Amino acid sequence: MTDISAGHSRIPPKGRSSMIGIVLAMALTACPAMANTRADLATQALQSWYRLMVELVRHTPTYSPPVASRAFAYLGIGAYQALETGDPDHMTSLVGQIKTLTAPPAREPGAVYDDAVILQAELAMSAHFLFSNTGPSGQGAMAARERKLAALVAEGLPQDVVDRSVTFGQAVAAHILDWSKDDGGAVVDNMGFPREYQLNPAPGHWKPTSTVVQQQFPLLPNWGTNRTFAMPAGSTCDLPPPPAYSTDPTSEFMKQAQEVYDVSKTETEEQHAIARFWADDAMLSMTPPGHWMAILDQINTRDQVPLLQQVDSSLRLGVALGDAFIGCWYVKYEYDYIRPITVIRAAIDPNWQTVVNTPPFPEYASGHSVQSAAAAAVLTQVFGENFAFTDGAPTPDGLPPRKFHDFWQAANEAGMSRLYGGIHFRYAIEQGLEQGKCIAAYANKLVTLK
Amino acid sequence: MIRAFTLLLLFACPVRADDVPAIPKFFDETASSGVASNYKGEWDFMVGGGVAAFDCSGDRKPDLYFAGGTTPSTLYVNDSVKGGALHFVATPSGAEIDRVTGAYPLDVDGDSILDLIVLRSGENVMMKGLGNCKFARANADWGFDGGDGWSTSFAATWEKGQVWPTLAVGNYIDRAQEDDPWGHCTYNWLHRPDGHKFMAPLALTPSFCTLSLLFTDWNRSGTPSLRVSNDREYYLGGTEQMWHVDPGQPPKPYSLEEGWKPLKIWGMGIASTDFNDDGYPDYFLTSMADNKLQVLAGKPDMATFKDVAYPNHAIAQRPYFGSDPNPSTAWHAEFQDVNNDGRQDLFVAKGNVAAMPDFAMKDPNNLMLMQADGTFMEAGDKAGVGSVKEARGGAVIDLNDDGQMDIVVVNRNEGAELWRNSGADTTGATLDHWLQLALHEPGANRDAIGAWIEVRLGAGVQRREITSGGGHASGQLGWWHSGLGTAMSAEVRVIWPDGTADDWAPVQADQFYDLNRGATPALR
Repeated sequence: MTDISAGHSRIPPKGRSSMIGIVLAMALTACPAMANTRADLATQALQSWYRLMVELVRHTPTYSPPVASRAFAYLGIGAYQALETGDPDHMTSLVGQIKTLTAPPAREPGAVYDDAVILQAELAMSAHFLFSNTGPSGQGAMAARERKLAALVAEGLPQDVVDRSVTFGQAVAAHILDWSKDDGGAVVDNMGFPREYQLNPAPGHWKPTSTVVQQQFPLLPNWGTNRTFAMPAGSTCDLPPPPAYSTDPTSEFMKQAQEVYDVSKTETEEQHAIARFWADDAMLSMTPPGHWMAILDQINTRDQVPLLQQVDSSLRLGVALGDAFIGCWYVKYEYDYIRPITVIRAAIDPNWQTVVNTPPFPEYASGHSVQSAAAAAVLTQVFGENFAFTDGAPTPDGLPPRKFHDFWQAANEAGMSRLYGGIHFRYAIEQGLEQGKCIAAYANKLVTLK
Repeated sequence: MIRAFTLLLLFACPVRADDVPAIPKFFDETASSGVASNYKGEWDFMVGGGVAAFDCSGDRKPDLYFAGGTTPSTLYVNDSVKGGALHFVATPSGAEIDRVTGAYPLDVDGDSILDLIVLRSGENVMMKGLGNCKFARANADWGFDGGDGWSTSFAATWEKGQVWPTLAVGNYIDRAQEDDPWGHCTYNWLHRPDGHKFMAPLALTPSFCTLSLLFTDWNRSGTPSLRVSNDREYYLGGTEQMWHVDPGQPPKPYSLEEGWKPLKIWGMGIASTDFNDDGYPDYFLTSMADNKLQVLAGKPDMATFKDVAYPNHAIAQRPYFGSDPNPSTAWHAEFQDVNNDGRQDLFVAKGNVAAMPDFAMKDPNNLMLMQADGTFMEAGDKAGVGSVKEARGGAVIDLNDDGQMDIVVVNRNEGAELWRNSGADTTGATLDHWLQLALHEPGANRDAIGAWIEVRLGAGVQRREITSGGGHASGQLGWWHSGLGTAMSAEVRVIWPDGTADDWAPVQADQFYDLNRGATPALR
């Protein structure tokens, strides 16, 4: 077991470390004598852009959790493919593995490229595209980040190599971004809330839970029909129906509502802290997918994970998160299930308050549970079982870091946080975790580093 | 007891017979007004853009001091004819300063000449009023530390026993952090007096990228607290705030135990009035998308407010005309009775932050008229003030001395706009009656900041807290307006800042009265 908080070096599973080091030296440079420096610069560019993207998720109004997961999927695919084009002997193309992805432009045979420059250019263009609607501060931050990183990675290189590499990195980004445009999630109007929508008036179905005008209709009702990444379709990991609606106090439905209420009334400090730690509210935080990207970044930084493994793990995590939200949203609108706050206020306590803001969409299944399980499954495959870590990702409440003995402990806690927060029934959490495992299996099947 | 009494009077003011508010007709007189001010600038002027409305010439009509952003601020002296077209003349004042974001008038030194607190992206500046619209820098003489921040908000109060005011200055992002501004809020400052000077400022920690401040006696305790509206875009772990500012005590934020509930909005402006006639101030908080209208949730022993914007139709969430369906961005807000029907109406200046495509790019200003049932009815387009420019600060104030409330708005990277209230509604019918009242007391706090004006009409009482602060980077001081509906007379009294209440005194409609402490109302 390796605890990154203790500052130990990470031991990658399956003996991949030494191979990655060799691949890195071969793939990342046009000038072997500069191998380590070029790799460091590429790593710096990768981490720097990911950190900014995680930050921009909070500051870009359309970036609800599903939208954020989609961005991380495309960022991961783009970065991976940009490097794969220069090292097909050691990296397997995602073409044929990711749905409808076609091969990006090829590098000019015999020409010299620099992978750090390529990576920086690809990520910069992707970021500007995916976050084109962010505010003036975000635009300024992206421009500044690009200026600094572009200068950093170009330093000491022949200008023709820089120019050729920038052009190529941008061409790969353009290819990926063009492909992204018809996946069903490219246009997010009205921050994801439909302008018109017919609510199901039958009992047991979702009802608005706030007085915010946009939230009178549920978020992104068609997201479950988006094109998936690694899994076949949004319906691939479908779930059984939740307990049938009933007003009978002895019914399974009312028992689960009573449990949410009882937990809220007996909540311990630890349970409250867990609810707040994983709240990850849209527009107030990095959101749940951003939270898991931040966990990965913390591990990469503390363990000085080699570049290609960072690219690989970011790809897998991004794809898993992207698919997780499509699958979860498919289920949410399949069942259109009522939120605990609606049930409890109607039948148990009209003044009941939740610890976490109730999200504006159907309850079943728990999105945080689905995507946390997917993330845990992917990161466990990458880093191994019993991989301890400390999550010090910043929270809006400024809460202290939390320690976990493995990814599954974190995922299970994230799931239960929704019960402690009063926004999900237990069944939605348990089934959500199961759906996440199912979805992650497809991301885990991706063949990447050779 | 106040609450029980006032609940009986809720919406009982004897006003118009019909339930539909008169929509006042405004004329856009920007082009002929002589005002050519433009709040220019990019990132570090995306917020701010204020105007100070106050009389510096001695004719008792408000003159206008505009923030100019990257261009120098400008004073426009009011030479409008009574009841006539709005007209101003740009006048050298000594207060022409660059990088100004906003300004508030205040008689700091108690000489009966209004001074200016000039907020900047840079050092804030105290400008002492010299009379005849001339000003001189007073930072050094008054011991005022202007700092070097990004200031856009201000509020003032007179703490008990002090001859000079206590000032709160709200500071926004560390402007040196343009490449990574999030989480880089700078401290708000509290400038307390020491006799006839200011002490070194106290940092209000924590601070959360403040865009509006208001000293307000929310529970009628006699000691105002400081409400703080913060921009959630940039803070970490922040929330809306309210601070105890008790004489002789360090400032202290209200806590959960005192009933203060965390609220995270893109807070940009605060407007206050007792809109529900319960005897306590209510607060409209501007934001992006949904705005908030807060009333006391329970008894005034707990600082708990509930949002009633949605049921009261004051949410002003998106443009109410035009083809842009995206959510709005609201800045300056102000309650005033623009149709004189005895109910407080609400003006909100709107405008995109800067090329944010998920928010309305053509975002009309709101003029929400209060109806008999306490809900609001949008009338900005019909009234003629629904400009879709990129508005920021503003003022709703009688500019041409006719007792009707006119409007001035500061726009970012576009010219300011002025609208004259015609005194008639959109059908041509004359608006109802009004009063204009000015408060005066001897010694310190000559304009009675912290007082309450009460206007009694039959069984109903209108109440207004006299404040300095709030809005968005924009302040005003001078006449206080009250609509009388169809009444030709009323009674008024002032509860002065020390809690002393004058006797009720009769006044006639459509007049300007000076209310001097302990004296009967005097016609101007």
